[in-house]
Amino acid sequence: MKPSSIRYYFKESFSGLLKNRLMTVASMATVAACILIMSFSYCMVNNLQYMLAQLEDDIGIAAFMPSNTTAEQVENVKKEIEGIEHVTEVEYVSPDAALEDLKKELDADDILAGLEGENNPLSNSFNISIDDIKNQGIVLQKLNEIKQNGGLENIKDAHSETEVLIKINTIITVLGIVIIVILVVISVVIIVNTIKISVFTRKTEINIMKYVGATDWFIRWPFIIEGVLIGLLGALIPMLIAWPAYAKSVSMIYDFFPVIKNMVTFRESSEIFSILLPFSLIFGILLGVIGSVTSIRKHLKV
Amino acid sequence: MINIEHVSKVYPNGSAGVRDISIHIEKGEFVFFVGSSGSGKSTLIKLLLKELDPTEGKITINNVVTNDLPREKVPYLRRNLGVVFQDFRLLPNKTVYENVAFAMQVIEAPSKQIRRNVPAVLSLVGLAKKSRSYPNQLSGGEQQRTALARAIVNNPPILICDEPTGNLDPSTAWDIMDLLEDINRRGTTVVMATHAKDIVDMMQKRVVTLRRGQVIRDIQKGGYGDETEFN
Ligand SMILES: Nc1ncnc2c1ncn2[C@@H]1O[C@H](COP(=O)(O)OP(=O)(O)OP(=O)(O)O)[C@@H](O)[C@H]1O
Ligand SMILES: [Mg+2]
Repeated sequence: MKPSSIRYYFKESFSGLLKNRLMTVASMATVAACILIMSFSYCMVNNLQYMLAQLEDDIGIAAFMPSNTTAEQVENVKKEIEGIEHVTEVEYVSPDAALEDLKKELDADDILAGLEGENNPLSNSFNISIDDIKNQGIVLQKLNEIKQNGGLENIKDAHSETEVLIKINTIITVLGIVIIVILVVISVVIIVNTIKISVFTRKTEINIMKYVGATDWFIRWPFIIEGVLIGLLGALIPMLIAWPAYAKSVSMIYDFFPVIKNMVTFRESSEIFSILLPFSLIFGILLGVIGSVTSIRKHLKV
Repeated sequence: MINIEHVSKVYPNGSAGVRDISIHIEKGEFVFFVGSSGSGKSTLIKLLLKELDPTEGKITINNVVTNDLPREKVPYLRRNLGVVFQDFRLLPNKTVYENVAFAMQVIEAPSKQIRRNVPAVLSLVGLAKKSRSYPNQLSGGEQQRTALARAIVNNPPILICDEPTGNLDPSTAWDIMDLLEDINRRGTTVVMATHAKDIVDMMQKRVVTLRRGQVIRDIQKGGYGDETEFN
């Protein structure tokens, strides 16, 4: 590519963008709107998944040992549980600690008074965390084997909560993907049409170029640049809006509902946009390239 | 220079454009394609430009068999062929100078060469004074001379014209013919499809007559021939 040709490509693409000013602005705005909605969906889905993961962490399995077990037995069972695949953490809860928790929970110190030490009816237990709630079934199966061997007496899991969380997670993910796919299709259609109009208004020009022996790539470049500029600007604008808007929204939610912080946290805006920004820009560029290459193909067949 | 061997073209809809045509054209020749409307003149010209591919036969231009030329090589074939059409095909938003320079820009000619060649070719076709005019400020003859300048500015060895005088009045048509003869005298092979009987008769060049897609007459230094035989 010669410098004079590069200058020519840019000159032509800018003149194309200016000649179809209305279409240029309209399609840039449409692409921008699509990417804005996509970003919004992404922020929602990503945060909901992030929060679900936080909630999932709180859902564990509690496993109780038979009464009158020795410290050695406790240690062995703990090791056994830790050896199960997908188990990330096993926390030992002594009968004393369990009693304290119970007192706090029931707010009934007097009723439970006198059950300390030797008289404690509670047994040794474990709080088991697993990597993903989807694997709860497999872990439970292993725990039941330990139970059959007498290592454990009772296993409590949060089966129904788990199912609900998994369902919510699936729905959100599918919904997010559907929205994003629809918007991708809309953006492609819009940009293809804009470039088609631009190509159409320069039909004679392309025709002459073909006759005097311009290469297909020479003819394509201005349209590709045109498409990329539309796509790139159409992607950049919503990012400039969405980033500060997201950061502001999160801090506002924290301000208005300080309690929320105790339950779940939002993703940092930098975390979200370090993925969303490059993705949008690349998407915009691809959109422009695909749009222009498909709309010009027909006219190169002379 | 141009060799057409047993070439046939059947359009996708089944109509026959040309049938079993063989024509050999030497470097520096001036050849008319004549024949009634629908006889296949434009089809033949499109085959030479590789705008169409023959359904049968072989076309060789400048020792290159164009039939099976890969798509990406076609532009380089076309750089050997200047083209002029009946309808000028100028870009309305470009000046005469820009229209001609355009043909050099798009094949990435050095700008120094563009600045040298364009004025030279414009004065050759007698448009030096009109270089800043836009096509809609020109007469038909001037527009066609601009198109001619554009066709020859890259110095193609072959010039192909499809009814270049079709939209022009007789005296303007003669201006164009004088130019074509001039260009031919400088060594360019000229192929021209036409209906203009008086022009063909006056020029006394080689005449290839087509009828229903077939060559029925091919004579050196001839006239338009008897039109009653055309149909
Ligand atoms: N694109 C096409 N599709 C189908 N048939 C075509 C096409 N172009 C030309 N033809 C047919 O091919 C035949 C030759 O047409 P062509 O245009 O070559 O004639 P021509 O000699 O140039 O006529 P004219 O003097 O009117 O320009 C005609 O029968 C015409 O109907
Ligand atoms: Mg014709």
